[in-house]
Amino acid sequence: MKRLFYIILLVVISSLRVEAQNPGWIVPDDQKAKICLVKFTPDMLKQGEALYMKNCQSCHGIPTKKNFAAISPTPGDLSEPKVGTQKDGELFFRITTGKAPMPEFRNILTEDERWSVISFLRSFHKGYFQPDPEKMAGSIGKRIKLAMTYDTVKKKIMIKAIELTKEGPQPAKGAEIIVFVQRYFGNMQLTDTKRTSENGFAGFDWPQDLPGDKNGNVILGARVNDPAGKMQEAVVKDTLAIGVPTNKPALTDTRAMWSTRDKAPVWMILTYTLAVIVVWYFIIFIILSVLDMRKIKQA
Amino acid sequence: MEKIISDLSHHIRLNKGFFLWMGFLVLAFIACLYAYTRQLRYGLGVAGIRDYISWGLYISNFVFFVASSLIGMLISAVLGLIGMKWVHPITRIAETIAVAFAAVAGLVIVMDMGRPERLAYVFIYARFQSPILWDVTVITTYFVISLLLLLLPLIPDMAVLYKRFANLPGWLKPVYKALSLNWTDHPEQNRIIHRSIYILLILIIPAALSIHTVTSWLFALTVRPGWDSTIFGPYFVSGAFVAGSAAVIIAMYFFRKNYKLQDYLTDLHFNNMGKVLVLVAFVYLYFNINEYLVPGYKLKRADAIHLGELMSGHFAVTFWLVQVGGLLIPIILMLFRRMRRPLPLTIISIAVVLGAWFKRYLIVVPTMAHPYLPIQHVPDNFKVYSPTLIEIAITLLSFTLVLIIITLISKFFPVIPIVETAKDKGLDPLKSIES
Amino acid sequence: MDENTVNKKDEQDPSQSSRRNFLKNIGLLGAGVAAGAGALYSGDIFEKKKAATGESKVLLTQDNRLVEVDSLEMKALAKNPTKLMLEKGREGIEGRRWVMVIDLSKCRNARRCIAACQDAHQLKPEQYHMNTLQMQDAPGTSPYHMPKNCQHCDNPPCVAVCPVDATYKRGDGIVLIDNERCIGCRFCMAACPYSARIFQWTSPKDADKHAGEAYNVELNVPQKLGTISKCLFSADRCREGKLPYCVSACPNGVYYFGDENEDGVTNGTTKETVRLSKLLRDNGAYQLMPELGTKPRVYYLPPKNRLFPFEPSTD
Repeated sequence: MKRLFYIILLVVISSLRVEAQNPGWIVPDDQKAKICLVKFTPDMLKQGEALYMKNCQSCHGIPTKKNFAAISPTPGDLSEPKVGTQKDGELFFRITTGKAPMPEFRNILTEDERWSVISFLRSFHKGYFQPDPEKMAGSIGKRIKLAMTYDTVKKKIMIKAIELTKEGPQPAKGAEIIVFVQRYFGNMQLTDTKRTSENGFAGFDWPQDLPGDKNGNVILGARVNDPAGKMQEAVVKDTLAIGVPTNKPALTDTRAMWSTRDKAPVWMILTYTLAVIVVWYFIIFIILSVLDMRKIKQA
Repeated sequence: MEKIISDLSHHIRLNKGFFLWMGFLVLAFIACLYAYTRQLRYGLGVAGIRDYISWGLYISNFVFFVASSLIGMLISAVLGLIGMKWVHPITRIAETIAVAFAAVAGLVIVMDMGRPERLAYVFIYARFQSPILWDVTVITTYFVISLLLLLLPLIPDMAVLYKRFANLPGWLKPVYKALSLNWTDHPEQNRIIHRSIYILLILIIPAALSIHTVTSWLFALTVRPGWDSTIFGPYFVSGAFVAGSAAVIIAMYFFRKNYKLQDYLTDLHFNNMGKVLVLVAFVYLYFNINEYLVPGYKLKRADAIHLGELMSGHFAVTFWLVQVGGLLIPIILMLFRRMRRPLPLTIISIAVVLGAWFKRYLIVVPTMAHPYLPIQHVPDNFKVYSPTLIEIAITLLSFTLVLIIITLISKFFPVIPIVETAKDKGLDPLKSIES
Repeated sequence: MDENTVNKKDEQDPSQSSRRNFLKNIGLLGAGVAAGAGALYSGDIFEKKKAATGESKVLLTQDNRLVEVDSLEMKALAKNPTKLMLEKGREGIEGRRWVMVIDLSKCRNARRCIAACQDAHQLKPEQYHMNTLQMQDAPGTSPYHMPKNCQHCDNPPCVAVCPVDATYKRGDGIVLIDNERCIGCRFCMAACPYSARIFQWTSPKDADKHAGEAYNVELNVPQKLGTISKCLFSADRCREGKLPYCVSACPNGVYYFGDENEDGVTNGTTKETVRLSKLLRDNGAYQLMPELGTKPRVYYLPPKNRLFPFEPSTD
C-alpha cells in the first residue's frame, strides 16, 4: 500500500516536473479568435513559402517531408493535422510570440508576412476553409497612427501616437511603443519599449555612436507593441540623418602582401622586376656574345 | 695528348651496357608515366595526400631535387673562383647533376599540381607577392645559368673531339660541330668565353642561394609550427650542399668505374670531396642543433607537439635514422682518412643521400600532420599520411628522368673537361690541331 | 534585396510557359541556384541600362521567381554566365564589412550548420567549410564544442601566397576562391593556421549531375576537381540580404552575422539584431589565435554559463 503511494507520488511529481519544464502553450481565447482580414491569395501563398523557407524551414523542415530538426522539444512537421486543426488565431499567436527555442517573430515578420506564412501552411491542411473576413468586419479594434521626429536638443527620437476615434484624432495615451533601427539582416530594437505620455508622446534616447550610411542616414521604424492583438497594426518608417556618417574604405584599398597583383607593394614589384632584368640582361648578353664567336676565324 | 683524348672520350659510343641501362630506365619511365596518367585522369586523390596533410612525397621530393641541384654552384663557382685546381675534373659532373635535378624539379612541381593544364596561369596571372612566382623565376634562371656553365666549357672540347677523335660516332658529329661554335682557339674567342664563364660563375652564386632560400620560404613564410623559422634559408642551403656533395661523390664513383677514369678521378679527388662533404655536414649539423634546440628549450605549445612527434612520436624512427645514420655517423666516419677512399666514401654518401631525402620528408609532413586546431570528424586516412603505390611510382618517375638526363649527357659528352685537363698538364690540344 | 527585382503580377501569364521553354533551351533552367544568381546579376545590370533600352522581359528563374530582365542582357548572360558571375564576385558589396560572432556557450554540437553548408556547397560528408571541433583549452578546463570555419582574416596568410590571384580578399572582407583560376598547388592550405581550406582530391560530389552548369564563384559550385574550396561567408546569400546558410540553420542561437560598419549583427536562430560592439564587450569576446596577426573577421564568445551538460561527439 505504502509502495503504491510512493509510485503515485513519483508519477505526480514527475508529471509536475514535465509540466514545469514544458508548460502548455496556451493561447488566450481572444487571440484564438483573431483572423486574417483579407482573403488568402496565390501571391500571399508564394510570399509565405519564401518566408517559410528563410525563417522556419531550418527547424520545421519542408512540410509533408517530416525532415524537421532533431532537437528538443520536437519542432514537428507543420503539415500535420495537429497543426491543421488549430485556428488561424492560434497559429498567428504562436508565430508572433514564439517559445524557446522557437524565436518570437513579432519583430522579424510584419503581421501581413505572418499571415502569408499561415496561408502557405494552410495549403497543406486538408479540409481547411478560411473564415470569411467580410463577416468579421467591425471587430477590428483600435486604430492608431504614429509619427516620428528627432529632437536635436534632447537627442531623442520622439514618437507621437494618435488614436483615430469616431470623434476625430486624439493623442493615444499609454500605448507601448517599440523603436527599431534597420540593419542589413534585420531590425534592431532601440532600448526598451516606452509608453506614450498624456499627450501621446514617447521619447527614446538616441545613441550618439550608432553608425548610419555615408551621409549618416539611418532607417528607423516604430510600432505599437500589441501582443494581445487588440488593434490594427500601427507602424511608421522614416529615414533620418542622425547616425554617425560611416564611409569606411573597402578593405582592399591598401597595398599589402595579400592584395591582388595590381596592388602588390611597390618595393616588391620593383625588386622583383629589377632583379629579373639585371640577371637576364647578363644571361642574354652572354648567350649572344658566345653565339657571335662563330664568326671569328683564325687569323 | 692522344692518350688524354682517348681516355676521356672512349666511352662515347653505343654499347650493349648502355642499351641495357637505358632500356631499363625507359621501361621504368613508361611504367611510372602510366601512374601519372592515372593521376591526371582521377585527380590527386590517387595519392595518399588529403586535407591537413596536403603536401607529401611530391613536395618533399621537389625540395630534395632543388637541394641536389645546388651543388653545381658550390663546386664550379665557390671552389673554382677561389682557385682550387683539383675541382676541375669534377666541375662537369657537378653541372650535369645541377642541370638534371633543376630541370626535373620544375616537372615535380607540375606533378603536384591539381590542375597541371593551368601551368601557364603562373606566368599569365603572376603575383609578385607569391613565393611560388619567385621560386619559378629563380629555378628557371638557375637552370639556364647551369646549362650555360655546362655548355660553355664544352665548346673547346667539342672542337678538339670533332677534329681529333677518330671514333666519334658519325651521328654525333653534326651535334659536336654545332656545339663547337667554330672554335679555333682564337684569342678573341678565349677572351669572350673566359669573360662569359666568369660572369656566370658570379651570377650563379646569388641564383643558387636564391633557389634554395626561396624553396625554404615556401615553408618559412607560413605561420605553422616547425616551419615558422628565421634560419630556414641557411638551414636549407647547408643541407643542400650536403645532399649535392654526396650525389657528386656517388656519380664520380660510377663514372670512374664504368668509364675507367681512375687516372683522372683519383683518390685525391675523393679525399678532397670527402673533406668538402664533412665540412658542409658540420655546418648543417650546426643548423640542425639550432633548429631543434631553440624551440625544444622553450617548448611552446605547438612546437612541443611538433618536436614530440618527431623525436618520440609517429616520426621518431625516421627522424633518428636520418639524424644519426644520415648525418652524425657519416660525419664521424669521414673524419678518418681511410673512410674518404673511393668505395667507403661512396657508401657513406649513399647513406647521406638517403638521409637527405627522408630529411625533406620530415620537414614537410610532420608539420602538416599537426595543425594548430585538432583534426576531427574526418576519415582516418586524413589523419595519418601513407603514400600510395601510384604516388611512389610518380616519385620514381622523376628519379628515372634525372637518371636518363645524367646518363645521356655523360654518355655522349666527355665527363671530364679535356682541354682544361690538358692545359693543367701543360699541353695545348688545339695548337696541334692547326699543325 | 532580391524582392526589388521580383515581379509578382504575372502568375497566370499565358506566355510564361514559352518563356520557360526559352530558358530551358538556352540551358539556364538546369543551372540551378547558379542561374538564379546569374539572373539576378543581369537584373542588376538592367537597372542601370533601363533608360537606354527601355525594353524588359519577365522571366521565371529556377527558384520560381519572376525576374525582370532586359532582352539584350539576357543574351549576354546566356553566352557566359560564369564569366559574369566571376566579374561580379571579385567586387565586394560596397560599404560592408561582414563579421561573424559565434557564441560557444550555446553550441550543443547539433551540426545543423554543417549539414546546411554541405548541402549548399555540394560537399561530401567529410568535406567541411564549417566544422564543429571538440576543444579543451587546458587540462582541467571544461571541454566545449567550437564551430570553426574560415576566419576571413584581414591579413590572410593564404591569400598572400597564392601565385595566380585565384584566392582573393574582397572589399567587404570575404575571402573567395576562383575555381576557374586555381592551379591546385595547395600553398594556401599549407599557409592557413586554421585548417580552413579543403581540396577536391577526387571527383566532387555529384560531379556528373552538375557537369556543364555555370560556375558561381560566390557559392563555389559546381565544385571543381583539383581545386580548393572553403567557407565563403555565403557571399551569394549576403548579396541577397539573407543570413549565411550555417547561421540560419542553427537551432541553438550560436551564430550572429552582420556588418561591422553598421555595428549590427543578427542572430540566425532568434533573428534578433543586436549591436556588435555591445555583444563583444559584454561577453568577453575573443578571436582564434590573434597572436598570429591574421586579424580574423570571426569572433568567439566564451563557453561560460552553459545551460546544458557537455556531450562528447560520437566520432
